[in-house]
Amino acid sequence: MSVTETPTAYSGARKGEDKSFEGVWDTPTGLRKLSSVSHRVVGRRFIYTGFVFFLIAGVLALMVRTQLIVPGNTFLDLETYNQVFTMHGTLMMFLFAIPILEGFAVYLIPLMLGARDLIFPRLGQFGYYCYLFGGIIVLSSFLFDAAPDGGWFMYVPLSTKAHTPGLSADFWLIGITFAEIASVTAAVELITAILCARAPGMSLTKMPVFAWYILITAFMIAIGFPPLIIGSILLEAERLLALPFFDPMLGGDPLLWQHLFWLFGHPEVYIIFLPAAGMVATMLPTFVGKPLFGYGFAVAAVVTMGFISFGLWAHHMFATGLPILSLSLFSAASSMVAVPTAIQIFCFIATLASGRPRLTVPMLFILGFLSIFVIGGLTGVMLASVPFNWQAHDSYFVVAHLHYVLIGGMVFPLIGAFYYWAPHFTGRMMSERLGRWVFGLMFVGFNATFLLMHLTGLRGMPRRVATYAEGLGWDRLNMLSSIGSYILAAGIALFVFDFFRSRRHGPKAPRNPWGAGTLEWLYPPVAPGFNFHAIPPVESREPLWDQPELLEREAHEVDGVMHGIRDGRRETLGCDPVSGAPLYVLRLPHPTWIPMLAAAGLAILFGATLASAYWVCAVGGVIALAAFTLWAWEPSDSGVTRDAGMGHELPVNVVDKRAHMHVALVGTMLVLMALFASLIFGLLYLWNIRPDAAETVTRPGLVAAAVAVVAGIAVAVFGQFTRRTAVSDRNLGAMALSLLTAAAAVASAGALGLSLMPVDPWASALGATLWATGGFTGIVLFVLLYWALFNAARRLTRRTGPGQSMPDFNLATFAKGSGLMVVVAGAFFIAGAMGGVG
Amino acid sequence: MSDLTRQIVAIARPGLTWAVHFVAIYALISASCAARAMIGHPTLVIAGGAVTVVAVAACLWSVFAPPAGGSTDLRRAAVWGGLVFALACVANASALFLFQGCGG
Repeated sequence: MSVTETPTAYSGARKGEDKSFEGVWDTPTGLRKLSSVSHRVVGRRFIYTGFVFFLIAGVLALMVRTQLIVPGNTFLDLETYNQVFTMHGTLMMFLFAIPILEGFAVYLIPLMLGARDLIFPRLGQFGYYCYLFGGIIVLSSFLFDAAPDGGWFMYVPLSTKAHTPGLSADFWLIGITFAEIASVTAAVELITAILCARAPGMSLTKMPVFAWYILITAFMIAIGFPPLIIGSILLEAERLLALPFFDPMLGGDPLLWQHLFWLFGHPEVYIIFLPAAGMVATMLPTFVGKPLFGYGFAVAAVVTMGFISFGLWAHHMFATGLPILSLSLFSAASSMVAVPTAIQIFCFIATLASGRPRLTVPMLFILGFLSIFVIGGLTGVMLASVPFNWQAHDSYFVVAHLHYVLIGGMVFPLIGAFYYWAPHFTGRMMSERLGRWVFGLMFVGFNATFLLMHLTGLRGMPRRVATYAEGLGWDRLNMLSSIGSYILAAGIALFVFDFFRSRRHGPKAPRNPWGAGTLEWLYPPVAPGFNFHAIPPVESREPLWDQPELLEREAHEVDGVMHGIRDGRRETLGCDPVSGAPLYVLRLPHPTWIPMLAAAGLAILFGATLASAYWVCAVGGVIALAAFTLWAWEPSDSGVTRDAGMGHELPVNVVDKRAHMHVALVGTMLVLMALFASLIFGLLYLWNIRPDAAETVTRPGLVAAAVAVVAGIAVAVFGQFTRRTAVSDRNLGAMALSLLTAAAAVASAGALGLSLMPVDPWASALGATLWATGGFTGIVLFVLLYWALFNAARRLTRRTGPGQSMPDFNLATFAKGSGLMVVVAGAFFIAGAMGGVG
Repeated sequence: MSDLTRQIVAIARPGLTWAVHFVAIYALISASCAARAMIGHPTLVIAGGAVTVVAVAACLWSVFAPPAGGSTDLRRAAVWGGLVFALACVANASALFLFQGCGG
């Protein structure tokens, strides 16, 4: 079944005018599959790659448990043990947990929301390759005998050049920072996809609850990851350039690293937990046969957790000597987060109580999740109490707690999710019989391993010790924990076997095999290259339950908007972010190698930094910049209208604040502001806790800082005028104003640089942080400059037609954000210049 | 502004209020208890108390005056979110009133 409309006058990119609907959406085959940008392909890649990292990290965990099975064991030497537990934590937290959940979100969100793809498919491909290359960099440290050994948190001063002189910490810092690009890009992509591409009628209240969980999680990633990215860059700069951010002798503070790390690290626990809880909230109603109890309560709980989880970071630092008042503040927030968590768990329990649950394998994993996660939550409340935390700090009690939260809260729902959504990946069902064995082995093995660790910890065994003496009361507990870990591993191994077995021998999955209510089951689960021939209007949160006509016909015969293709292009429906009303036809890119090229360029840049081959870094940077330019250069699609069916005559890629490009830019600005705020936090922190050192810093230049503030305001004003002029299609005026914006950006950067000239970044941590703040603002201004010149060049070469002002529209928002950063940075420099930094 | 948009604002407002309140309390404690010791304990308590009263009021706005119309579920989300955040603001500030100084 295919429908092709006759193309009419259209200035956008020509892609597949001679093809059918299926042809336009076809996934390339052979080697060209690597150029696919489909969310189905990219999502599966994230999931499979994440699972491979999970298996590697699991083997490392088994090595740890084998080492600890008896006292005085010599299975691993001390150095190798440190490397093994560091890499276990690193792989699990950075390269497995978040990417695999993002993979599920990338795969499922468009299907659930009634979109044909994610809104930025190229960004998805780019993010995946950044993740893959970053993961390879981290893992390759084993090949160079330079595996990181400083713990997954890479605390300073242990990780500074003085105490870790080799490349091991550099592998961690560079590889993880690179891989984190994927998380941040996926966050922006998911925020935009959820807000801007939903089926007609799917208002925020009719959105599947999974989308709420992912939306909040994506916002948390956008705000939570930047502190670690900044921390990692500062630490790498200290190691590479000897800038003293964390050196107490020069006014730095090792605790600054801990603050930046845990500002990311604690929200990360919820970033991992929330998507998994969203999976539970999606699967549970299917097996109970009733909608989720208390949708409103669940939304309130998710939003509340999203916020409060940012106020917990210092409970990882209770033993570092923070003032009692600070400890109390963080203790209060740590206790309070239990309230929304409990509300959510009660929603699940009430849903269970509202019907007769079918005890399928996914359901067993949901029950496992509930029992294990509740125990983890309760020990979390114990650890939120400062006196108990001091007693249990750095003991195996904490190891038990975090595994109860993370394995119970994430791995159990994840394995349940694999059983539930496996038909999407293989077209076949996994085995119910083997699945019950998998669950039994995992549940017994998990509790044998980690329940006992509570006792081991309360008996005083510290974390991260490679061995222990006999007769301390830890011998039998460790033995049993290690045996439990082998049982847990057997469960995982059986799951992997079942997955591969089902690919060939599993029964073929029928349409909507579980009787679910969400849209991802509209089509038979033999994955085609596309999602919806026509996007059906949605009237409830469980459309497949409440709109029987959707399942009465063959999927490709279901009525809806956007039937067929226009202009031979991939497209989906753009909607109003709140009401879900159809707003525009959203054009999507076709398969391309360019994002992969950009990621490869960045991989060269990052990898060559490790090898100190700086000219190679420059080559990598140029490749990446060229790829980004090619990415952005293609003709604009906006400026025309098309018939979308069902009475909707819609513009293509509308120029509006509600447009996906603008929403994505706002998301990106959120990330940039969080990066900038992390630097400002560093400035204020060092200034406040080391007044003695701050007094020794030379004052920044006053006049230049004042000029920077004025130029920053000019950046914002010119940017806004560029938008106005461009929207009214005044080509020459828009080009001139773009150039003025570029000139103001250059003036801002120059003035900030001049203001900083008297400050020696190597002489003090505060001076180095001032330079880092100026440097970051300079990079943002460089992007603005490049963007403004790029827009001007497009207008000069007549690549921009009437109604195609989106790049200028967005430039204004970026210019306002950049201008704000310049003004804030300039204000700090002025304060330093007038009052003296000390 | 549509009913739905008002409800989204009513859900987000208590969260943003809590975030601002948390930052304010943290900043006040840092101003009082770090080496620079910019403010004394009485100032900390008075300023902390003032921002807490404002913050709790802003959170309870969503509880006692949820937007009319729109979705029942989102109204419930606004009410319960507001309540939890109001409690969280009180919890943030509680130590200021329970302890006599930075050392407890």
